[in-house]
Amino acid sequence: MALEDYRADAMRCTRCAYCKWIPFDLIKSARFSKGCPSMEAGKFHSYSAGGRLVTALSLMDGRSTVTEKVKESIFLCNLCGLCDVSCKICRYDMEPLEAMREMRATFVSEGNGLPQFAPVIESLRTEFNMLEQPAEKRGDWAKELGIKDLAKEKAEFVFHAGCRYSFDGDLSHIAKTSVKILKQAGVDFGIFGRSEKCCAGRAYDMGYRDDFKTEADSNLKAWKKAGVKTVITPCSECFHTFSRKYTAKAGSEIKVVHMVQFVDDLIKQGKLKLTKNVDLKVTYHDPCHLGRQGEPYVPWNGKEKKIFGQAVAYDPPRPKYNGAWGVYEPPRDVLKAIPGVELIEMERIREAAWCCGAGGGAREAYPEFSSATASERLEEAQSTGADAIVTACPWCERNFLDGTNASGSKLKVFDVIELVGQAIGEVKQ
Amino acid sequence: MDIKKKALAEIVGSENVIDDPAILDCYAADCSYAAKRTPWYIVRPKTAPEVQALVAWANETETPLIPVSSGAPHFHGDTVPSAPEGVIVDLSRMKDIKRIDRRNRIVIIEPGVTYADLQPALAKEGLRISRPLLPRANKSVIASLLERQPTLIPRFNFSLPEPLRACGVVWGSGEIAFTGEAGNGPMDLEKQWKNGVAQVDPKGPNATDLMRLLTGAQGSMGIVIWASVKCELIPSVRKYVFLPSESIEHLIDLCYKLERIRLGDEVMIVNAAQLATMIGSQTEEIKVLKEDLPPWTVIIGLAGAAHFPEERVQVQELELKRLAQQCGIELLGGLPKISTSRVASALESCSAEPYFKFTYKGACQDIFFLTTLDKTPQFIATVFLIASRLKYPLSDIGIYIQPQHQGVSQHVEFNLPFNPSDRRESEKVKHIFTEASHALIAQGAYFSRPYGSWADLVYSRDADATRVLRTVKQIVDPKNVLNPGKLCF
Amino acid sequence: MSTQIPSDAYRAIEDIVGPENISSDPAFLDSYAFEVMAETIRPNFDHFMPRPWAVVLPGSTEEVAAVTKVCNKYKIKVKPISTGWYHWAAPLTEDEPTVQFDLRRMDKILEIDEKNMYAIVEPYVICAQLQAEIMKRGLNLNIIGAGCSTSIVASTCAYFGAGPSSYYMGHNSENLLGQEWVTPAGEIIRTGSLSSGCGWFCSEGPGPSPRGVTRGALGSRGGLGTYTKCAIKLSPWQGPPVMEAKGRPPGYRLPIHENFRVYSIGAPNWDAWANCYYQIYDNNIGYIFHRQFNLAGADLAPSLWLNYIDPTKTINDVETSVKDPEIQKITEEARIAFQFIMQGNSIEDIQLQDKILDAILVETGCYKVKRFCEPDMAEFTNMYLQRLGHKHCNYIWVGGYMGSWMQPGTPDFTKNYVPVAVKGFYRDQESHQLVECGGDAMMGCGSTIGGGGYCGLEQFVSYDPLEKDSVAACVKHMEDATADALANGVPPGKEYLYLQVGWKQDRVFDAWAKMPQQFIFNFQRKIKEAFDPNALGDRNYPWLPEGWGKKP
Repeated sequence: MALEDYRADAMRCTRCAYCKWIPFDLIKSARFSKGCPSMEAGKFHSYSAGGRLVTALSLMDGRSTVTEKVKESIFLCNLCGLCDVSCKICRYDMEPLEAMREMRATFVSEGNGLPQFAPVIESLRTEFNMLEQPAEKRGDWAKELGIKDLAKEKAEFVFHAGCRYSFDGDLSHIAKTSVKILKQAGVDFGIFGRSEKCCAGRAYDMGYRDDFKTEADSNLKAWKKAGVKTVITPCSECFHTFSRKYTAKAGSEIKVVHMVQFVDDLIKQGKLKLTKNVDLKVTYHDPCHLGRQGEPYVPWNGKEKKIFGQAVAYDPPRPKYNGAWGVYEPPRDVLKAIPGVELIEMERIREAAWCCGAGGGAREAYPEFSSATASERLEEAQSTGADAIVTACPWCERNFLDGTNASGSKLKVFDVIELVGQAIGEVKQ
Repeated sequence: MDIKKKALAEIVGSENVIDDPAILDCYAADCSYAAKRTPWYIVRPKTAPEVQALVAWANETETPLIPVSSGAPHFHGDTVPSAPEGVIVDLSRMKDIKRIDRRNRIVIIEPGVTYADLQPALAKEGLRISRPLLPRANKSVIASLLERQPTLIPRFNFSLPEPLRACGVVWGSGEIAFTGEAGNGPMDLEKQWKNGVAQVDPKGPNATDLMRLLTGAQGSMGIVIWASVKCELIPSVRKYVFLPSESIEHLIDLCYKLERIRLGDEVMIVNAAQLATMIGSQTEEIKVLKEDLPPWTVIIGLAGAAHFPEERVQVQELELKRLAQQCGIELLGGLPKISTSRVASALESCSAEPYFKFTYKGACQDIFFLTTLDKTPQFIATVFLIASRLKYPLSDIGIYIQPQHQGVSQHVEFNLPFNPSDRRESEKVKHIFTEASHALIAQGAYFSRPYGSWADLVYSRDADATRVLRTVKQIVDPKNVLNPGKLCF
Repeated sequence: MSTQIPSDAYRAIEDIVGPENISSDPAFLDSYAFEVMAETIRPNFDHFMPRPWAVVLPGSTEEVAAVTKVCNKYKIKVKPISTGWYHWAAPLTEDEPTVQFDLRRMDKILEIDEKNMYAIVEPYVICAQLQAEIMKRGLNLNIIGAGCSTSIVASTCAYFGAGPSSYYMGHNSENLLGQEWVTPAGEIIRTGSLSSGCGWFCSEGPGPSPRGVTRGALGSRGGLGTYTKCAIKLSPWQGPPVMEAKGRPPGYRLPIHENFRVYSIGAPNWDAWANCYYQIYDNNIGYIFHRQFNLAGADLAPSLWLNYIDPTKTINDVETSVKDPEIQKITEEARIAFQFIMQGNSIEDIQLQDKILDAILVETGCYKVKRFCEPDMAEFTNMYLQRLGHKHCNYIWVGGYMGSWMQPGTPDFTKNYVPVAVKGFYRDQESHQLVECGGDAMMGCGSTIGGGGYCGLEQFVSYDPLEKDSVAACVKHMEDATADALANGVPPGKEYLYLQVGWKQDRVFDAWAKMPQQFIFNFQRKIKEAFDPNALGDRNYPWLPEGWGKKP
């Protein structure tokens, strides 16, 4: 693809500004009606998905050039995809999220990437992670857990911890709890541990497609060699990358399961008993990459056709990705199954969830913007009266923890798996 | 014949130019405190071209014109010349009901059409218009609407000028231009009707609401030569119900509830003195009624028109009962010792001659303004405090609260009857009027219809309105020939 | 000619709003120049209107006034927008330096007076936000036809103002209460009870109403200064305090509360439609009254909407289902249909309204469209019309939509031009450059005046903004529609207003000079002279130069 492939999106954008708001049908209050963190920070129309489409057109047509502000307007964004959901409430022919990804790739290929990304990408290339950590430490979290090393052995399932769980000392216990659950369930799985490589989804979103392809190919090769048929991961960004980007961009046919889906199945099959009380009022945050960007993906290679004269359709029919089929119920069902947990929903949930602020390279390039986005979400969580915000992605958790620590808020931050761990007595409350 | 009279006679015909001093004297003053000023002539045009010619002449000669559509008595000083050499333009000869359009429920009338003229004509088509309280039989419908006199049925009142729609106007500059959707089309109503235009939309034309510049203008912007007015169906079933109370405060919550859901047709809050005056036909009777009536009453007209009218009334009554119960107020089908038909008559008929407010003592001074319902008790307290200090009997003060704009605003009116032959009482009422007007404005009462001395009080506090209105006046009446000296002009 | 804002002006504005709230970056400016329908009027079908010289984000009325004064000093036009949709939101002509105000920082609901039923808002408060807050209090507001993403201040003070709920809740010009206006000269003027220091509750007076100069049938659309606050009258809501939408996107559904009924009503012909309309008007029932679904074209609408509410379907499915005999039956049944929602104050009330409606249907030969009244479609209709959050579906076919006709009038007047519009649209679709949805793609509010009795129907012309031939076909349709209207004794419709945006100034003046009554254009010229002495507002506020068009 090239940016020119999105000319149609740009020309057919109607500047309706739906991309700035959650789907209007879902608005329950004025306070929690907005959907686009970029617009809240940047304010000018150029910071919206629609505005970026205009920027694309303006640049393609030579009406303007890339300035620092233009770069900021493109990259000050989590690529959370809320705009995509809202746009597609009424449009079948627009792909604003894909167009914005394309813009980043174009910017990077033309030398207009962000310097803030350079050390992160360098880390990916040399240490195979995007946290600028030494690769040799990657498997430390799993030491002494006695898990199969798929660099040397084979298994049907690979548990992919992801960079954040592997290196973040505050969060790696969630990876540990996950593997304990898998062991208890008798799953034939292994890990790559020190040899595990980043999914590189974030690199793709930052605009570094070649680097993404390198890591994707490497991961797929390693899995094939290990006989892996299914990837289980507790990280939503990895989940999205493996199930969507690897399928679309690297030809993957591997099945991908998020840890919460797996646990949900175990509970429903009676294979996991949650016996300990966890007295907690919680609210659940839908990670973008598990929710609206976690829909099942079917590769499509077709073209636009016209029907009824000028109406846009596709040949063959193009699957619709509008957040309708994200992974929303499994984490909620798991929470509801935990004795003592009371689930209170925020207003912006499911496909309309406000982003945690960590994705799209925003945390790396614009930390203030990233933390302001998280603060907004934490405020929404607090408004429910919940004791804790629970989610299913380490990036969300990191951003929320940083937010609560900075503000001194008493709101706790948990992963779903962590609460499951408490409910099965594996984790102290 | 002097030059002016001759010129006027050439326009309207000599029989329609009056300079009889006795008749001129009738226009030199009215029931308000406006300073007496005698006009020089009264002219009685019959057609729009005559009106236009009069305005052209006024511009040439710089003669003030004071448009008057209604018969006497007049109350607020707007028909009394404020400048010398004034000519009264008596529009009462323009009495055409030009068109009754049943399907679109629009009637088009000339300024001389009164409520007494219009009601029976509309009734033949099964129509009525939402009217003010007990209008005089000789009250011009257009004048009432232009004055923004409050109408009785708040649920129809989507905006304060309703049911006034489009107008044909001779502006102070002498140009004729139509307002509303009529302003888009040919300058000929018949041609517009042929094109399917029914003068329904009051807005515009274009980016100006010309009609709104005429309402409340006391004839100082233009002379309306026709107007379209929205009609409603005459109900085939009607019932009046009453909600009595010892205090206004006790009624407020209920009134908010019922006004919010647009229950009923006629809705008003009146005190005993007001209601007594509305239904009593003699002084002694009014005295007795004041004693017998509840201190406060909400009167609601329940009506059903078109399909299933009985059931419409039943459902509304049921809903009203529920609301009344919630608020601990009894819903009555009638008032003790008063026949409901007398109340109905007050709400459906024209006023007794000369005017119902004069029945009790011979004269009456009113003070009225707009506010929101929650603030009415404080304004009542203010007026009572002043009246009490000046030793005016509080039980004589009639209070009429008329919901407007579907309950968003309330017209609040105090009526102070007095014996015009009793100099002390007359002076007392004048003092109350003056003091109360000052106090009420200071308290935030909105004198949206600033007649007479209210004009100075209002515009001295409202630089924005003054600025805009003087600009408009300068445009539409550059020589200030239309009723100069009124408002802020 | 330089299109750089003078550095002193830039710096002066920066001092007022802060450097982060002004930009003259060309790409940023292009995001304001890019506007829907620009391609129908710009040279070579360009999608960009003239670029502003700078875009400014003021945060308060005082900032708006101060920046406006700077613009007066430097003779830079001012063009305010709230959400900024449609080509006339952008600067109109190439050679005029313009600062675009983007009012998005002024986004507060200042007050909701629940008892007295009004709310005070800033320009970037959109209808959806206020509706969500006031429904908690048993209140609702008129949302204009362009949908809930629009600015309340814009539709009340400065734009049109009719919506599906205007029948019950009033046109927004009727709902305007107090307002605050920064004139093009930078004066702050308040109107109504507000200017008299009595609060926000009344728009009339004192005496004649100054608000009469700020808007009429339409507002000044950014051409006569900036509206920075207004109070809007609210209406009762008998539904749940929070609208709990159900289901998956895009076709969310709103369960129908027991106080409501939601119907699609079909008519056998347009005479029956008009008769039904008049009966509804006389019987005074109804809450939301709108012809909504036909925007997709009567030939395709049922097929589109029945697929739309299925989250597994796409536009490709419309291509198949339109051939389904069952769908074809529904298509004929719904050909002349409109949507009608009733709200009762009580169960008894809504049951009675239902009974009255049934009687009207029997009398007029109209009927409920069965499939559209089934729960899935009815709940979707309920969601669609109560929140009006799917207005972007105007563009559903291919991203281009232009509304022609829509001359407002009595139902009889409107009914008479519909066949002309339908015939013309069938003809224009023969080029295959427009979406071939059938001749009747007419959508419109049940009334543009509170209480009913006045309506217009707008032809939804869908074209591909990407393809010049398609854009050209749309423009041809606009010209044809005007010609068809005039040939049938009907004034030109909305398409004429849209086309005028692309005309040179003189041609526009000539057109206005030919209007049967020029009084208003001369009046507005004088208002402009008084309040916009440096001519900073553009011709979205129409006016005629003195003597223009008059024979010597």
